[in-house]
Amino acid sequence: MADPDTVRDSVRFWRVFRRQRPAVVALVTLAAITSVVPLTARFFATDPHGLSADALAPPSIRHPLGTDYLGRDVLVRLLHGVSTSLSVGAAVAATATTIGIVCGLLAGFYGGWVEHAIMRLADGLLIIPTFFLVLLVAFIFGGGLGRVVLLLGVTAWPQISRIVRAEVLSLREEAFVASARALGSPDRRIIFRELLPNTLPPVIAMVALLGSYGILTEASLSFLGVGDPNVVSLGQMLTNGLESATTAWWVPTFPGAAIFTLVVLLNALGDGLNIALNPRLGLKGVMV
Amino acid sequence: MSLWAYVGWRLVQSAVLVLVVVSLCFAIIQMAPGDPVLYLYGAQSVSAETLDEIRRQWGLDRPAWEQYLAYVRNVARGDLGYSMLNREPVSSMLRRIAPNTLLLMVPSILLASLVGVLLGVSSARRVNTVWDYAIGSLSMIGYSTPPFWLGILLIIGFASTLRWLPTQGMTTLGTSARGLAHALDVGLHILLPICVLTWWYLAAFARLTRASMVEESRKPYLTTARMKGLSEGRVFYHHALRNASRPVLTMLGLYLGTMFAGAVMTEVVFAWPGMGRLTFNAILQHDYPVVIAVFIVIGTSVVLTNLLIDLAYGVLDPRIRYG
Repeated sequence: MADPDTVRDSVRFWRVFRRQRPAVVALVTLAAITSVVPLTARFFATDPHGLSADALAPPSIRHPLGTDYLGRDVLVRLLHGVSTSLSVGAAVAATATTIGIVCGLLAGFYGGWVEHAIMRLADGLLIIPTFFLVLLVAFIFGGGLGRVVLLLGVTAWPQISRIVRAEVLSLREEAFVASARALGSPDRRIIFRELLPNTLPPVIAMVALLGSYGILTEASLSFLGVGDPNVVSLGQMLTNGLESATTAWWVPTFPGAAIFTLVVLLNALGDGLNIALNPRLGLKGVMV
Repeated sequence: MSLWAYVGWRLVQSAVLVLVVVSLCFAIIQMAPGDPVLYLYGAQSVSAETLDEIRRQWGLDRPAWEQYLAYVRNVARGDLGYSMLNREPVSSMLRRIAPNTLLLMVPSILLASLVGVLLGVSSARRVNTVWDYAIGSLSMIGYSTPPFWLGILLIIGFASTLRWLPTQGMTTLGTSARGLAHALDVGLHILLPICVLTWWYLAAFARLTRASMVEESRKPYLTTARMKGLSEGRVFYHHALRNASRPVLTMLGLYLGTMFAGAVMTEVVFAWPGMGRLTFNAILQHDYPVVIAVFIVIGTSVVLTNLLIDLAYGVLDPRIRYG
């Protein structure tokens, strides 16, 4: 339903967001990368595992970004790695946001022991070294990409749930909630139809930051050797590059630059959204 | 509630949180497929009886809940267990390794927080000027640089191309230098890792300081202070900075609290013998007593630093009452 308030809010949002030039550039660039890179990787650069005789060849016309120690083309692998990173970022952000929103809504709406249980769990997750936890689980049970994504999402929701809960606590006393209750709406309807849409603005900026957290952390984990060797990932390309760093600078330089580009674009987008939607937030640190 | 009662209550909560962390970690390791004894001795041709004997010695033949209770009892007494791989008590291992990590982290975090706050403040004083944009872009770039990539780039640039600095480890292999020569050797090895860490932390501090100063300077009490005729410098540095320092202090606490985890990515790239690399290797080699001990150390230091930070709020902001 497009009621007048929502329309005014979204107009105001666009007016402010449009002026955040870095964020707009980031959004357009990300959209371009997301639409071009996976398709190119799927249809034109089809063989990221293809070996060739010229190992560690410097950038040339044949291999624009050079080849690695097995003679695999760095550009082809890079396109596949970027596609992997994009899905990882999206999946981590989606998982963490969904869990965070549901937990925050329940904690804020019901209060009492529900709130207590959820928020203590969130506290616990904030003091656990989640990076080592994911590393431990991935090494013990084997770390396919899906599992790594799930683990990152499942451990990254506390910030979202804190924001959502704080919003719900102030919204709960508003007239529209009271009137919905007076009309006899069930809890489920009040929570998901009345409260949820109103808590979304501060969450949206967080989603971009969670995407960048997911991409950077997955890259760190695969750099350390977690993951499926059959799925090309940028972190894994960097590990191979570390060994030949002194002789073949192009092998580690380009995958790292790709991670950096994705992360900086998402952070810039998150910053712009944050200014336009104006909540206060911070993100749990990545592992340095 | 008095301050001491508050501190006591928080310590009880902290102990419970750490216990939960230990239990979770213990549960994950119990569910692990594979047998640490087989992993350690399986490659050597050891008879099944000997393996059983080893299991009995380690207490691995007893039910999980008995192992768990024994472990918690030992931890409560300050005994963190025995590294199966290094044949060394975990606590003495941590005592040996932790200083290396602190040597890396303390200077990086302190330098970065100091310079970062200065940059953030100077940026906030000149909002929407070229200087502000420059600091803003630099900290955005710094904050987004994968530390392990920056490490590799520095190795390529300063160490293998220019051959100015060593790239791996904490000391030159095979030296027996003592005293000043040893300190100099470590100093040369630590330079690049410190650059990587400072680069990242600096950006984080500059960003946060600028954001909270800008937010603070929009508040009405600053207008009041100006109307009273206070100088702009006093308004800015005395009034705004004091209140803007709260989120900065929180972040400093977060970083100091997680400091014992080390900087696993940087330590791995530079082969620095710190806590991060120790934990990574322990996970890789199924040396679980070391892994759980690290989780305990990190959890404890995080909850204790959080408590200290909360107490420091009270000093900064007299409105805060505990209880």
